[in-house]
Amino acid sequence: MNPPTTLLIAAKDLRQRFRDRSALVLVFVAPLALAVLISLAFGSAQRFHADIAVVDNDGGPVAEAFTGMLRGEQLRDVLTVHPVADEATARERVDSGELGAAFVLPEGLSNAARGERVPDIAVLTSVDASVSALVANSVGEAFVAQLNADVLSVNTALAAGVPPQRAAELAREAAGSSLPEQVRPEPSGTKQVEVSSYYAPAMGILFMLFTIGFGARGWFSERDSGTLDRIAVAPLRPGSLLVGKALATFGYGVASLSTVAVVTSLALGADWGPPPAAGAIIVVMALSLVPLTALVIAVSTTQRQAEGIAATVTFGLALVGGNFVFLSTAPPLLRTIAMLTPNGWALRALTDLSSGAPWTSIGVPILAILAFCVVTAGAALLLARRRVTR
Amino acid sequence: MSTLAIAAASLRRTLRDRVALFFIVALPIIAILVVGATIQGATDIKVAATEGRGQLAESLLNEIERTDGLTVVVRPDEQAARESLRRGEVQAAVLVPDDLGEVLRSGATVDIPVLTTAATESEQAALAAVRAAVAEHATPLQAAVFAADQAGGTPASRLELARQLRAATPSVELRAEAVNADRGILPAGFSYSAPTMLVLLVFINAVAGGSTMVENRKLGIYQRALAGPVLPRQLVLGETMFYGSMALLQSGLIVAVGAVLFGVNWGDPLAATVLVLLWALVGTGAGMLSGTLFRTPEQASAIGPPIGIAFGMLGGCMWPLELVPPALRAAGHATPHAWAVDSWTVLLAQDGGLVDIAVPLTVLAAFAVVLLAAAVHRMRRALV
Repeated sequence: MNPPTTLLIAAKDLRQRFRDRSALVLVFVAPLALAVLISLAFGSAQRFHADIAVVDNDGGPVAEAFTGMLRGEQLRDVLTVHPVADEATARERVDSGELGAAFVLPEGLSNAARGERVPDIAVLTSVDASVSALVANSVGEAFVAQLNADVLSVNTALAAGVPPQRAAELAREAAGSSLPEQVRPEPSGTKQVEVSSYYAPAMGILFMLFTIGFGARGWFSERDSGTLDRIAVAPLRPGSLLVGKALATFGYGVASLSTVAVVTSLALGADWGPPPAAGAIIVVMALSLVPLTALVIAVSTTQRQAEGIAATVTFGLALVGGNFVFLSTAPPLLRTIAMLTPNGWALRALTDLSSGAPWTSIGVPILAILAFCVVTAGAALLLARRRVTR
Repeated sequence: MSTLAIAAASLRRTLRDRVALFFIVALPIIAILVVGATIQGATDIKVAATEGRGQLAESLLNEIERTDGLTVVVRPDEQAARESLRRGEVQAAVLVPDDLGEVLRSGATVDIPVLTTAATESEQAALAAVRAAVAEHATPLQAAVFAADQAGGTPASRLELARQLRAATPSVELRAEAVNADRGILPAGFSYSAPTMLVLLVFINAVAGGSTMVENRKLGIYQRALAGPVLPRQLVLGETMFYGSMALLQSGLIVAVGAVLFGVNWGDPLAATVLVLLWALVGTGAGMLSGTLFRTPEQASAIGPPIGIAFGMLGGCMWPLELVPPALRAAGHATPHAWAVDSWTVLLAQDGGLVDIAVPLTVLAAFAVVLLAAAVHRMRRALV
């Protein structure tokens, strides 16, 4: 095989594509524009903080303890407590979105500490603030759990044989106990993959897949215009043409995804992990486009068919591989199916890198993508051979 | 007659194309499935938990699982739990200590590490929910320790008594109430993905389908048709009918598939029909405009989908617009998509009718008129 000829063909193909403005849009402009859009949409959805109202109809020690807990060290960064005079005002302010949620403490709540039945604590929430609702409910539950545990402690001790005249003393002592199971929040030491760091490679890979269509269409348009026949009579080995075209598709893919990686890292702060590791994934992902393009050419007979099949392959892989949706929240079955696609593996490797996985984590994804290459290349060869012998 | 013949010819050609059928039939089903399943998972708060050992560890996990809006994923060990957390599959990881049971039964206190990565909304929610469940679980344990302390015996021996007394002991309860329960957002899952994918895919297919028109133009089909007894007006009308029927065909399929396969209730039939018709007109206008604007079929099929995807993202087809900053939500309403999704939200989530979506329908009608007028104008100019 003659390397310069192969390179010449590849360079010519690349030049031709870069002259076509629609190709530039598809491969450079579109993924960047969509990555920007997504980071605008999700860039600010970060720290949680809620404004919570307390309507105190009790005025006793339990209500005081409750408000104290809401204002305490543990929740200081999460909640701001606003005293509100009555329930109607609280409802209005929760409905308008001014407050995330409101607690209405019933009259006589403090009698609960003496083991009396008391009305429920109402938690007013808004359907528009589901997280505030969950947080308010959970914080309330944790408080009443301690309160209920103190009352239960007294009752259990009495039932276990402590004389009833000690009840008041028991209640005082129980109020000082704390639940024997406590949650200890700990930073995990790793980052969680952020939505912007997920979608930057997701969009980059999606538009990289469109390259398959360009390659396949190019092949048939050259065949139809007789270029391929003319090249065939030139003193070239038959393989040079194929290798040259494959190289062009590969180069185009690498250029596309690398551009997205560099621009989104610099401009949007997307995290692609250590550059050599990310680079390796970009290279194998681009490599997988080559046999895929060959397969599309092998199964198609006309340019129109090739375009259609390429589009089907592109959208099918993108949908299943997780390029459109944040796959982490998908059911496990979908996440498993995504691992049948090279883009699914590439995306997993890149998001793992961005969330702080060691560079060695790319080993399995690279092998998986290469295996996919072998399978598609084998299928393409088999089909091409059958077509020739027929 | 010629008008119908033109529309029918284009329609026949498209329906014979098996690949086009993939985009019209199969793609929407896959998209509804994937997006619906993912969105469903996105609104739930998930925590990973290590299994721990023994009966108390089991009852603790059960208690966490009982929390509304919280899903527990049991992982075999700490490393697996950490991995789930890092990948964003869960918002927190509860590391149940292996010796939980022994320590608690001895009367000592156990710290349960809960790992989070940041102070984001969902992580705070996960942490608070786990805290509440742990407190609930610890209630009889505290009573058992206290009773053993006061009346003798071991905490383990008093635990059963505490559990028995629990039901009879008065307790303070919380009563959650949504003040605006009648104001719905699109419910997560397929009821979100089916209408939004209808909006997204009908538009994308129409815009990408503009390539057929570009091809017709390049091949001189229009010029040849005009050589016969066909008026430019009929040609324009024929193409309009073709794009309109394609959009309606796909919409009808998505509505049927949504209802039959995914159990989507499309709301008030009259309002839904008007909405589908108007959206088909918007798609028709956009498709024909793309057919007159692009110079090569490649351009139409290359630039059409990204524009469709971008509009879909801006308009709330890929995620609910409630999640994005207000400025972006406002900007999203520059696309017809946002108005269509708003309308579907009213129909599906709030049981609204035609009157309730009058405003977005008017906006959609305006979009349709502008797009169609521009397309017809450009096409006529190219033909005459």
